[in-house]
Amino acid sequence: MDWQTLIDEPAVIAAAVLVLGLVVGYLVGRLNEELLTASGVPEAVEGTPFERTAQSLGTSTVEIVARLSAWFIYGIAVLTAIHIAQLLDTDAFWLRVTEFIPQVFVAVLVMIVGFIVADKSELTVGEYLRSVKLPQVALIPKLVKYSVLYVALVVALGQVGVHVTALLILLAIYAVGIVAVGAYAFKDFLVSSAAGIYLLLNQPYGIGDRVRVGDQTGIVQEVDLFVTKIEDDSEEYIVPNRKIFEDGIVRVRD
Amino acid sequence: MAGLDDVFGDLFSNVDGVALFSPSGSYYERFADLEDVEVIVVGTENDVGASTFVELPLEFEDISDRIRFGLEGALDQEIIDDGDTLACATSVFGDDIDTVSRVRADADNHTGIYDLFARSRADPEVVKSVLELAIELGQKGQKGKPVGALFVVGDAGKVMNKSRPLSYNPFEKSHVHVGDPIVDVMLKEFSRLDGAFVISDAGKIVSAYRYLEPSAEGVDIPKGLGARHMAGGAITRDTNAISIVLSESDGLVRAFKAGEIILEVDPEAY
Repeated sequence: MDWQTLIDEPAVIAAAVLVLGLVVGYLVGRLNEELLTASGVPEAVEGTPFERTAQSLGTSTVEIVARLSAWFIYGIAVLTAIHIAQLLDTDAFWLRVTEFIPQVFVAVLVMIVGFIVADKSELTVGEYLRSVKLPQVALIPKLVKYSVLYVALVVALGQVGVHVTALLILLAIYAVGIVAVGAYAFKDFLVSSAAGIYLLLNQPYGIGDRVRVGDQTGIVQEVDLFVTKIEDDSEEYIVPNRKIFEDGIVRVRD
Repeated sequence: MAGLDDVFGDLFSNVDGVALFSPSGSYYERFADLEDVEVIVVGTENDVGASTFVELPLEFEDISDRIRFGLEGALDQEIIDDGDTLACATSVFGDDIDTVSRVRADADNHTGIYDLFARSRADPEVVKSVLELAIELGQKGQKGKPVGALFVVGDAGKVMNKSRPLSYNPFEKSHVHVGDPIVDVMLKEFSRLDGAFVISDAGKIVSAYRYLEPSAEGVDIPKGLGARHMAGGAITRDTNAISIVLSESDGLVRAFKAGEIILEVDPEAY
């Protein structure tokens, strides 16, 4: 048999593609693992439930992501090989598969990243709120977690072509609600902090000055972003900085 | 060895409670299972998540200081009563608990160390940072030479009105707080210059180079301490501030409240 005819044989080319795919897939997997490790991903995901689940299954987040990319390439190689060997002669099927596989890959990746980001933000928010000793506060980290998960789910479903319009509307209502309630609830804080920034930068009055705000007179004890503390002989007024801009402040010099 | 239990058993028999000083998590859990014994955890941080906890501002090197402070805090929070006997378990030689001493809580021996932190105008965190700063300054000095320093903490508005500037205030229009990383270096540099540092309740460094002008009547501080201590002691009588003074001559850090010396620590011991 001639070499030329051997190379032209579809089965041989398919086998070569398969081998090449396996090698490239393995290398990409390893490279991804190295890159993710070098960029500090293991430290970033440490302690998240996703990582812990992965650990209990004898693997890790980095390994899962690296394997995923490797399997993605294996899959392409196998499909290409099948196509070349003409084992399945269905062009339509082929076309849809090539479109669908990358989408599934991205969707799975989005879900993994979503899970990790959700867990991580739950941990971070929980840590931040730990000093607040109020039982109900434990709800906030959970809320953050599921919000992130929801967004990841919508993105992932959108990626694989499921109709997500209804979910998007829900998300929009949720986001608008949070912004509206937040803006309303923190309106006074925002105004006060804007005034506070000016007071801190320009210091029209400082600690130790005798001042009058409205009908309260006293010595300034503290100026921070939101409030100014003014102390009389026995009374300490905590005046929101917003009020200082509205009423003006009188520096008493004697 | 059964005989030893009889002899040392006196140490912890009939105690009203057990005070654990900075226990490790597993050590604490062994106590948590015990019944009929009140367990109080004392330490700089509540690592073990104990329900009854007394915070120490410093990891006191001196055992009697450490225990005295812990018990005073517990008395103050009404965790224990006057006259209660406690077995205090603490570490002397290693990191683990290796020593038990039997101590009777005595409210008459009130020194006010606990009040210095918990009942001052300034935040306990701020008092703690300033004390740490003074101790560090005492250990290292300025380029190897001993330095003195005077920090007046809390009630800054009144302190500012009872003092005058010696020079331009380097902290004018600045927003540095004690505990910021840069502050150590800055204060070390400025400690070469005379005058007091004024720190607000929330820890903002309001001014340096202040010449304090309190009335020194009725201030009772040990003879032999200089003008810095006298000024530091007197300002705490006139205002609700506390002052923390690092002595240049003997290198000790002293804290004053209401005109009285409350705490005296040797920086070298930390």
